[in-house]
Amino acid sequence: MKLAFFQGCNIPIRIEQYAVSAEAVLKKLGIELEIIEEFTCCGYPVRNVDEKAYIIPSVRNMAIAEKKGLDIMVICNCCFASLQKAKNVMANNPELAAEINEILAKDGLKFEGTTAIKHFLSVLHEDVGLESIKKQLVNMVSDLNLSVIHGCHILRPREVTLFDDSFVPKITDELLAITGAVSLDWRGKLECCGAALGGLNSELSEILLKEKVDGALAAGAQFITPVCSYCHLQFDTTQLNIREQQQNQKVLPVLLLPQLLGLCLGIDEKVLGLEQNNTIEPAHVENLKSMLGPPVEKKKKRKKRPQKAAA
Amino acid sequence: MKVLVGLSLLVFLVGISYRLYGWLTQTVLTTDRTASPGRLPSALKGLMGTLFSGELFTLVKTFFTDVLFQKRLLSKSALRWAAHSLIFFGFIALLLMHGLGTGVSEFFFSDYLSTIQPYLSLRNLFGLMVLVGLGIAIYRRLTDKPQRVKSYASDWLAIAIVGAIILSGMVLESSKISSYSAFTTMAEDYGDITEPDELMPLETYWAAEHGLISPNIAKPYDPALIEEGREIAGDACMECHAPAQSAFISYSLAKVVGPIVSGLGDEGMVNFLFYLHIIFCVGLLAWLPFSKMFHVIATPTSLLINGVMGFKEPAKDPANELNRRMIGLSACTHCGSCSELCSSLMFYESFQNDFILPSEKVQLLKKVAAGQNVEDQTLANLQKGLYICTSCDRCSEVCPSGINLRELFISSRYQLLSQGIPETSMLSHFSFPLSLTRNFIVDHKNALKKLEKIFKDSFTRLKDLTSITVSDPVQVGTTSYQSCYSCQRCTNICPVVRLYDDPEVELDMLPHQIIFSLGIGNKEIAMGSQMIWSCSTCYLCQEHCPNKVELTDIFYNLKNAAIKQIEGGRA
Repeated sequence: MKLAFFQGCNIPIRIEQYAVSAEAVLKKLGIELEIIEEFTCCGYPVRNVDEKAYIIPSVRNMAIAEKKGLDIMVICNCCFASLQKAKNVMANNPELAAEINEILAKDGLKFEGTTAIKHFLSVLHEDVGLESIKKQLVNMVSDLNLSVIHGCHILRPREVTLFDDSFVPKITDELLAITGAVSLDWRGKLECCGAALGGLNSELSEILLKEKVDGALAAGAQFITPVCSYCHLQFDTTQLNIREQQQNQKVLPVLLLPQLLGLCLGIDEKVLGLEQNNTIEPAHVENLKSMLGPPVEKKKKRKKRPQKAAA
Repeated sequence: MKVLVGLSLLVFLVGISYRLYGWLTQTVLTTDRTASPGRLPSALKGLMGTLFSGELFTLVKTFFTDVLFQKRLLSKSALRWAAHSLIFFGFIALLLMHGLGTGVSEFFFSDYLSTIQPYLSLRNLFGLMVLVGLGIAIYRRLTDKPQRVKSYASDWLAIAIVGAIILSGMVLESSKISSYSAFTTMAEDYGDITEPDELMPLETYWAAEHGLISPNIAKPYDPALIEEGREIAGDACMECHAPAQSAFISYSLAKVVGPIVSGLGDEGMVNFLFYLHIIFCVGLLAWLPFSKMFHVIATPTSLLINGVMGFKEPAKDPANELNRRMIGLSACTHCGSCSELCSSLMFYESFQNDFILPSEKVQLLKKVAAGQNVEDQTLANLQKGLYICTSCDRCSEVCPSGINLRELFISSRYQLLSQGIPETSMLSHFSFPLSLTRNFIVDHKNALKKLEKIFKDSFTRLKDLTSITVSDPVQVGTTSYQSCYSCQRCTNICPVVRLYDDPEVELDMLPHQIIFSLGIGNKEIAMGSQMIWSCSTCYLCQEHCPNKVELTDIFYNLKNAAIKQIEGGRA
């Protein structure tokens, strides 16, 4: 299976390890990724300013993938939501669809809607499958407590993103469960990291972030596992920026899902770029490695319902 | 002619000095106002530091890989690399072997004569290389050019003038091949042949086999005379003159050019073409410092500097950072590579602002640096272009001239901002990566405060409302707000509302109140509320709304409308 890898703008320059570790994991699992140079920004950053300007780039990106006959795989939630939203608009707003196709015609492109948009997590969960990943595991972790933060734009609005159950998502938890890690129930799991306000209302953005950091630490998390690139940057960069002013506070390190899964698949930690996470220190890596052991079939526990955000 | 060459050389040298002076004194929208006197010593110190250290090796390596071999261009496009290499190596070879006179060639090859092989063929080959390279360049500008990048007159002029030099040279050579007066002069000066009984056979032979057009003889040529001429030529000419066919292009061209030249008077025409060729050459020389052709000096300099200093790191010495920026600006050849892969490319379609494209930003920054007068509106557009940027760094990564565009753009962005033009694009998520790097936080925050004030002054707010009226339904991209049945679930689940002790004061309006206001047809108080700019866009309200009111989408719509109204008011 081959997919067009849509990395967006943040990942190649600011979170290269996310792309590299995801690619390494998928390669192990038999999924090939193609990087398409002509992909541009998904449009998300401009959404506050102009909705149409937000839609057009995603339509173009999908048209490029269509031309190559590839489905798109995305890691970043905001890119994912933008592509899905554009797809939704093109299907439901024929007038705008025609207008955008006219713009695309300048580049010899046309949007038909044949390209599927897949999130990295769905590729793992549906295209590869949990059983198939389990078979390839060479390690599992024990005693690792993680706080997952799903991020908003992968889950909501559900009519657009079409990913998992937006109230009780299970894909991420099931993927983490096969590594042996415990995905904690905690208040911020389905909530906002504050990134969407970063740079335009930074004060509020930082309060929202701090709330999540404190919440995850209070729940006993050893690491935070963000899905979205924006969440990642909040926890891995903004958190340190805040901590500069509050030196006595604990830093919650980031561990990405493909990094953890990669370790369990026997991929070298250097390839997975663990130490490229700003918040990870060598001691964290050592600790993680000490948790690795041969895979054992755990007794199936009844999973607790994740605590709803509405409390 | 010497006057002409001398004059153009003078213009060239003055121009180059002026440009070098500009490198060390000019600034372009910089927030860093290091006094210019410090920049020359800094530059010299940096240069000396490089020359007398282990970095010399890096410098030499960069010279071969980046300057001569054009590694960065090759990784971008093989076709463009081929075009540039053909032009570059063809032209340099012609310049060294032919243009700088026999002195240079004789220095390397003691038996050098412009009329013998392989030099005759080589000259044509080098000329052909340049022409093929130019052909590819023209093809690219016409068909395969980077989308949305404009070609300016200066881009075409550069191609035209180089092409004119090569073509005029080839036409000149072909006119000489066919010229009768050139033949007699050479026969007399080099072969010492003046007698008609020797001249006639030689002329016949030269007309039959070397492309001469003689007024004295016509086809069919007498084979006996040709043979006799061949013998005379063998004794008198061929030692220093290879067959004219060796100049394979000019010889073929002579078949077309010859009759025209001889019809117009060959002696005059050869002279005319000679001066035309010279004028193109000295013209290029004199024009070079003031045109994009200056890149032949600036681009290697830029590549070498970045090769040593690193393409990504800012310079340690701020004075040298300014120097590097100025050199970088003049190294831009307006090739459009950056704009072709610009992540913001498609935003150009919505904003129709040239300065969203990095290549076009640089063109304007060049003008600003040179002190040209730029209108305020153009600067405002530049500022917007600088903010509609994803900070993905692709432009700096792909620039074949290795220009550190990121530093240029960051610096000009904040300098323009400090001039006080409000920038509504700051309210987009383009500000997110800017907040991560925490450059110029104070300026950034002040500019945001200014925007906030503009918003407060532009819209009536809920607390200013003295009476409530009911108006027609409002346009917010959806009518779902009409389904609201006042359960306030949206406000209760909002993670922002819950942060405040007194959210109504901090946010002006709560989510459900915004939906109410739309219900009574008052969009203005909604657009003026702080709530929409504090919305974290987490979509919890929309997801939990029992009646499927699309709150977050409506908030986006209100933000768009508010910005549009502010922008409209300013224009």
